[in-house]
Amino acid sequence: MTWYEWITLCSLGIFLGTSLFYALRLIRLGKPVDKAPASGSVAPAVRYSMSGAMNPAKKESAYLHLPTYGAGILYHLGTFLSLLLFFFIWMQLPFSRMPVLILSGFLVLSSSCGIGILIKRGWKNELRALSNPDDYISNILVTLFQVGTFLALSIPELLPFYFLETSILFLYFPLSKLKHVIYFFAARYHLGFFFGRRGVWPPGNG
Amino acid sequence: MRIANSEMGTANSELTREQILKGLEPLGTNGDSKLLTHLNSCVHCGLCAESCLFYLATKDPRLTPARKVDLVASIYKRYHTFSGKYLPGLVGARNLDTATADEMVDLLFGSCTGCGRCTMHCSIGVDISYLVSVGRKMLSNMDLVPSTLQSTVKAAIDTGNNMAIPTADFVDTVKWMEEEMADEVGNPEASIPIDQPGKRILYTLNPREPKFYPLSISAMAKIFYMAGESWTLSTRMYDVTNYAFFSGNREEAGLIANRLWKEMEHLQCESLVLGECGHGTRAFRWESPNYLDRGVPFPVMSSVECIANYIREGKIRLDPEKITEKVTIHDPCNLVRNGGVIGAQRFILEQFVPDFIEMIPSGADNHCCGGGGGMLSMSEYNERRIGAGAIKAEQIRKTGAKIVVTPCHNCVDQLIQLNAAYKLDVKIQTMAEIVAEALII
Ligand code: SF4
Ligand code: SF4
Repeated sequence: MTWYEWITLCSLGIFLGTSLFYALRLIRLGKPVDKAPASGSVAPAVRYSMSGAMNPAKKESAYLHLPTYGAGILYHLGTFLSLLLFFFIWMQLPFSRMPVLILSGFLVLSSSCGIGILIKRGWKNELRALSNPDDYISNILVTLFQVGTFLALSIPELLPFYFLETSILFLYFPLSKLKHVIYFFAARYHLGFFFGRRGVWPPGNG
Repeated sequence: MRIANSEMGTANSELTREQILKGLEPLGTNGDSKLLTHLNSCVHCGLCAESCLFYLATKDPRLTPARKVDLVASIYKRYHTFSGKYLPGLVGARNLDTATADEMVDLLFGSCTGCGRCTMHCSIGVDISYLVSVGRKMLSNMDLVPSTLQSTVKAAIDTGNNMAIPTADFVDTVKWMEEEMADEVGNPEASIPIDQPGKRILYTLNPREPKFYPLSISAMAKIFYMAGESWTLSTRMYDVTNYAFFSGNREEAGLIANRLWKEMEHLQCESLVLGECGHGTRAFRWESPNYLDRGVPFPVMSSVECIANYIREGKIRLDPEKITEKVTIHDPCNLVRNGGVIGAQRFILEQFVPDFIEMIPSGADNHCCGGGGGMLSMSEYNERRIGAGAIKAEQIRKTGAKIVVTPCHNCVDQLIQLNAAYKLDVKIQTMAEIVAEALII
């Protein structure tokens, strides 16, 4: 292994270790306690919370902001794709030309979405006022990760930079809002629990 | 938890160290996955802004739900996360100091009704109104609840009802309403029972009823009479409201709720029917078992569900020709979005209102009227409250309805004020009032 791969391995360990810690801490804390007799059921509401309630037609944060919402979805898909490709690149799995072109094309699109979201954050008064340095840094690191991924797929000479940038992202993860990747699922669960017991979700119960 | 003085920001602060420590207590996430989750979930996307009536009505970026979440979460980060402790500037972590506390009072008490609409629309699923309630609890721990709201809580604790109505006045009003009701049903023997043990139902009221709207007492009494119900009011504890639910003081909320439990035991009634009050219903039905750490040993329902049951069971009949004007319904946030009573009120109106129109949006997605969260008692925010009500006023205007029904006396109060401020020219009624009007006697 090269020196930069060792660095990446260590940072990956920190990333996975902290992710596991956050996830296990939530699991250990268990379900919320609610002594009030339930009007509805939790399980279908949690399913709804993770599915129907996420339907863009149901959420103003989506349907009133379709370009941002669409960009956000593409950006997140690009991040997950980049994470997957990170392991492929590391294991030096061979790619033929066509898949590289398609994947790179998608990552160009998704990273452009990231840049667009970054510009919007700096541009709009409400968002700028709400933002702290972490909001910008998290975006920049993830966008660079996607850019690095499609460059690394085609230009092997850039691998050291790619691995170093990825290492910085992994090390930054526990300090930042990027942790929401874990809390997101817990938040959806808790909403399902709350609205499910009260018979509000799934809709049509009350 | 050890906190250094510098971390507490006491150098420039008028808050005492003790106040700060007490204020931070509700942010302890040990053992609370819900709190831990929601404090760590917001990504500052800002997409919740348009879901909040305060932002919609003012376009003030300070009033977005995200800013309210951030205020509470930034304090949490400062004292409970590595980056917040050592790199506070990076993640926007804030000390709990006088300036922060002032902002909390203004945003969490003065610019949020806790309606929860933003929660449903948040891109992640952050329970924003829950975090607002956590922030209110922090302020309550620091004795920073607005004095107007706290005096309402105090009145309830000291006198048994939030309007400090003397028992003799209450009894006089009920007796007067008894005569009204007896007249209407054409039976001089018809009565409004008070303090009668062993009845099937103990019924509670919003103190606004005996104080300002006594006819809503006779309306519900008429429904009970026609349904042949065995019921009673109590003079010791008839107040359905619980303003400590708004002030964030769990102990006081528990104390108020416990009185109702005790009165149920004292009068040995079978079921508790909560009068038309959104937050009161929520505070007792959903929150009090958690305040008091015990399950409810008797059935509890809202009066809307009770009326719907009477119709289903054929105990009351309604004249479909009585109400000729167009009717719409305003869904109280605490009864509907946060309480799950969504279909009962619609079922009732379907029985006798031929010209019914829904607001858009409605049901669990309805906009708050702006009067919840204790706003009606905090007169210092009157202007903001009426301003935020512009969203509801516009919703009502768009329906073209002439009657707005809402099963909540707090909402009634706010809607009456919106009616005047925005010249809506509508009649505001509770569910019992419109049903009583259409009762076939
Ligand atoms: S929509 Fe949710 S995640 Fe986005 S800023 Fe608002 S509260 Fe935070
Ligand atoms: S709970 Fe209601 S009033 Fe409070 S921020 Fe959310 S939408 Fe606005």
